[in-house]
Amino acid sequence: MRVKRILLYAVVGLISVFALLPFYEMLIMGTYYTDQLYTGIKLLPGDYLMENLKNILKHDFFLFYRNSLVVACSNTLIGVTISTVAGYAFAKYEFKGKEILFFLVISALAIPPQLGLVGFVIEMRSLGWSNSLLPMIISGVANPFGVFWMRQYIEGSVPGEMLESGRIDGCGEWMILVRLVVPIIKPALITIFLILFLWSWNSYMVPLVVVTNQKYYTIPLSISLLSTEFKNDDAARILCLSLSTIPVVGMFCFGSKHLIQGLTAGSVKG
Amino acid sequence: MKRKLAPYFMILPYFAAFAAFHIFPIVFSFFISFTSWNGISAAKEFTGLANYVRALTKDSFFFVSLKNTLLLTALIIPGQVFMGLLMACLLKDFVGSRVRGGFQLVNFLPYITTSVALAIIFQLMFDWKNGIVNGVLNLFGIQSVYWLGKGWPTRIVVAVMEVWKNYGYAMIMYMAGLSTIPEELYEAARMDGASWLKSFRYITVPLLRPIFAFTITTSMIGVLNLFDGPQLLFSGMNQPLGGPARSVLTMMVRFYEASFLNFEFGYGSAIAYLFFLLVTVLSGLLVRLFREKD
Repeated sequence: MRVKRILLYAVVGLISVFALLPFYEMLIMGTYYTDQLYTGIKLLPGDYLMENLKNILKHDFFLFYRNSLVVACSNTLIGVTISTVAGYAFAKYEFKGKEILFFLVISALAIPPQLGLVGFVIEMRSLGWSNSLLPMIISGVANPFGVFWMRQYIEGSVPGEMLESGRIDGCGEWMILVRLVVPIIKPALITIFLILFLWSWNSYMVPLVVVTNQKYYTIPLSISLLSTEFKNDDAARILCLSLSTIPVVGMFCFGSKHLIQGLTAGSVKG
Repeated sequence: MKRKLAPYFMILPYFAAFAAFHIFPIVFSFFISFTSWNGISAAKEFTGLANYVRALTKDSFFFVSLKNTLLLTALIIPGQVFMGLLMACLLKDFVGSRVRGGFQLVNFLPYITTSVALAIIFQLMFDWKNGIVNGVLNLFGIQSVYWLGKGWPTRIVVAVMEVWKNYGYAMIMYMAGLSTIPEELYEAARMDGASWLKSFRYITVPLLRPIFAFTITTSMIGVLNLFDGPQLLFSGMNQPLGGPARSVLTMMVRFYEASFLNFEFGYGSAIAYLFFLLVTVLSGLLVRLFREKD
C-alpha cells in the first residue's frame, strides 16, 4: 500500500515537473548569452541577466509593455462592466423579450471568433482606428460568456428582498446595482476580471492582423514580429517573455481559486 | 428612472457593442465572401459562389488544411482527455489535500502562458542539434529526430505543445466534476470489495459523462481553431507557413494566409464561412453523440 502510494506520488511529481519544465526553462534561458543557449541544456541561472535587460530596454520594451497593459486593462474593465450590467438585468428583471434576447447571448457562444475577422479589419480601417490601440481594446468587449456567467452568479447570490428594500429606501435602479449588488458579487467580478485579462493579455491573432504600425505592438506581437537584430537575440526575447508572464502569474496565484471557479462554471451546473 | 425601462438600458451596452463589433463584421464578411475584393480597390466585383467553388475544387491547400486540422484534432483530444483525467483522479484520490492546491497550480501554469512563449521554448527544446528532447533520446541510444523538419514529427510537436498547454484546464474541469460525485458511492463500492479501477470504470466514468461532453466539445472547438502554435513555431525558421510540407497548415492558418498575407479578402472570408460550417456540423454531431448515449 505504502509503496503504491509513493509510486503514485512519483507519477504526479513527474508530470508536474514536465508541466513546469518549459516554464522554468523560460526563466533560466533569459539569464544567458544567446550563443550559450545553443550549447546544451541549462538548468541553473546564468550571469547575463543584466546585459539582456539592457538590451531589451534599448528595443522599446517599455512601449510594448505599456501597450499591452493599456489594451488588457481597458479591454477587461469595459468587458467586465458590460457583462455585469447585462448579466444583472437578465438575472433580476422581468422584461419583454428577455427570453429571446438571452437566447441570442447564448447562441453567440457558438460563433468562432474569427468568422468576422476580415470584416472587422476593414471596419476598423474605415473608422480610422487601425492606427491606434482601439481595435484591440474593443475587440471582444461584448463577451457572451461574461454575460452568461454574471447572470448565473447574480441569480444565485443576490436576494430579491434586498433589492426591494433598496427600492423602498428610495434608491434608483442604478444606485441599487452600484451600492447594494456590486459589494455582494465581488468574487464573481474578480473571476471574470481574471479570465478576460488572461484572454486579452495573451491574445495573438487579432493584434497580428489588425495592427500595422510597430508603435502599437503588444508584447506577443513585438516578440514574434520585430525583425531587427533583436530577432536573433533569443535570450533577450525570452527575458521579455518572462517579464510579460509575471503579471498574469502573479494575478493567477493571487486569484487562482476565483479563476478556476469561473472556468468550471457552467460545466458542472450545465 | 422607471423600473420598467432600466433593464433595457442595462443590456444596451452589450447589444450595441455586439452589433457593432461582432454582428456587423460577420455580416460584412459574408458579403465579401461573394466578391473578389482585395481590401484596397474601390470596386467590389461580385463573383457569386466562385470563392466557395474555388475552395472546394481548385485549392489543394484547402483540403490539406482540412486534413491537418482533423489529424491534429484526433491526436490532441485523446491526449488532453487522458492527461486531464489522470491528473484529476490522482490528485483527488492519492494526494493529500494540503499539497493538492500546489500541484493543481503547477499543472495549470501552462494554460496561462502566452503561446508566443510556448512556441519559442518548444523551438529550442525540439531543436535538432541542441534541443533537450534529442539530448535525452541520445542518452538512451536513440538517434536524433529532425523534429521540426519533417511532416509527422512536426505534427507530434504541435500536438504535444497543445496537450501540454491545455491539459491543466481539462484537469480542473474533471476535478470540479469529481467533487460532485457523492463519496458514499465509492464507500459502498469499497465495502463490496471493488478495486480502484473497478470503481473508476463503473462510478467515475459514467457519472462524469456531462463533464466529458462539455470538455470534449469545448476542446474540439479549440483545436479546430488552432492557429497560434502552428503559425508561431515556424516563423523565422526558413520554413513555409504551416511547417515542413505544410504538415501543420491548419484551417485557421490557411484562412490567415489567404486573407492577410495574400490579401484575398473575398476568398479568405469564404474559407472562414466553410470553416464555420465544419465547426457547427462537428460540434452538432458531438452533442448528439453524447445525448444519445445518455
